[in-house]
Amino acid sequence: MIWRQGLLILGVVFVADVLQATVLSRLGIPAATPDLLVVAVVALALALGPTEGAIAGFLAGALVDISPPSDTPLGVNSLVYLVIGFVTGFVIHPRDRTVWVSMGLVGLSTAGAALATAAIDALLGSPRVIWSEVPTVVLASALYGVLLAPLVIPAVAWLAARVAPAPPAELRLPPRITDMS
Amino acid sequence: MGGVQSGAAFVFAPLTSFNSWWGTLNAQSQQIRDLRAENENLQLQVRIAENERARVDEMNALLKVSSVGEYAIVPAEVIAVGPAQDFSWTVTIDAGRDDGVEPDMTVINGQGLVGRVLKAFATTSTVVLIVDASSAVGGRIATTEEIGIVSGTGRQDSLDFQLLDPLAEVRSGDALVTFGSKGGRPYAPGLPIGEVVEVTGTAGQLTRVATVRPFAKVSALSIVGVVVQPPRTDPRDTLVPGPGAVVSPPAPSSEPTSGIEVEQPATPAPEVALE
Repeated sequence: MIWRQGLLILGVVFVADVLQATVLSRLGIPAATPDLLVVAVVALALALGPTEGAIAGFLAGALVDISPPSDTPLGVNSLVYLVIGFVTGFVIHPRDRTVWVSMGLVGLSTAGAALATAAIDALLGSPRVIWSEVPTVVLASALYGVLLAPLVIPAVAWLAARVAPAPPAELRLPPRITDMS
Repeated sequence: MGGVQSGAAFVFAPLTSFNSWWGTLNAQSQQIRDLRAENENLQLQVRIAENERARVDEMNALLKVSSVGEYAIVPAEVIAVGPAQDFSWTVTIDAGRDDGVEPDMTVINGQGLVGRVLKAFATTSTVVLIVDASSAVGGRIATTEEIGIVSGTGRQDSLDFQLLDPLAEVRSGDALVTFGSKGGRPYAPGLPIGEVVEVTGTAGQLTRVATVRPFAKVSALSIVGVVVQPPRTDPRDTLVPGPGAVVSPPAPSSEPTSGIEVEQPATPAPEVALE
């Protein structure tokens, strides 16, 4: 069970990283690159849960940081994607996830990833961050993420159901947040 | 009897000719299918040929630069690009240590300077482009001896050029070439960098910065060359694109195949001058 989930996470993250570096980055899309990695992490978190989402996020970020032509400090993307994977797997109860909620999560995640990496890079003293362009990049990244979501989330959910079928939902779901009040 | 027969033949003509009609229809629809398939195949070949021609043009421009300047190059293709989100301008090319590529080698294309090798792996290398904010290149204004530092801004269409001599004259339209590093690394001499499009600050001001538009279109790189052996003598200004290319800035940027556009004005220019 665990190794099947691990295989799924590794496979999805690896394919997303290669596609992003060789195809999406080279399309010359204005303002930002469609952040397929973040969308894939959110899709994995929605399909598998917060812990698995966090693991997927860490792996995806590490892969982005070490795969050429990256020249950014190691670990920034790992940290950001890990938080995204955990939070998106946790924040909305699966019963309340509509298509729009999922797309909104992806939009917020891609925007948050762009903003957080820029902020951490700037804190680490990177000379590259252009703050006047950050809002454009963040908005464009969110838009592209939302556009990618309807393709990626169902594909990953389908793969997850095939490769790593989940135990009965009631066994693994945390109680609804609204129930706790 | 004959009359009945001809009458019957007339009445049943649609039925008896149905066979031949059906045969023709079948043959025609088969023919249409064949022609459609052939058409699709030919269209695909035309598209492939266009793509190939664009690559040949780019390769020609690159070979022209390397032969005129006597640079020994290893040609390579851009295979991956970093995401725009981290504001870095780095690409991966498909030539590495096995092909003789080492860190701090100059990377050029048919238009001019592209960047330098940052890391060399066995079969691939990471190239940091001149527009990256961490990049700084020694530049010289073509036809003069004025030198300065060309640094990347992180934006794909502008570089900052800071003159070492604040009193030196710099005008928009001036072309910049690389000054050349010791031993040709990381930057070989004489490579076109870009042209000055705007000068801010007045002569004598302490920080006098000119905005430079790079000749190489960094967002659409495909074929590049790694300079593995810099020229024995500085090619000086021989590689600077003709006046046509420098005066009309929109031409190369608006055309997707800028490789041809930049090279063409160089040849007809003398004829115009003679007339």
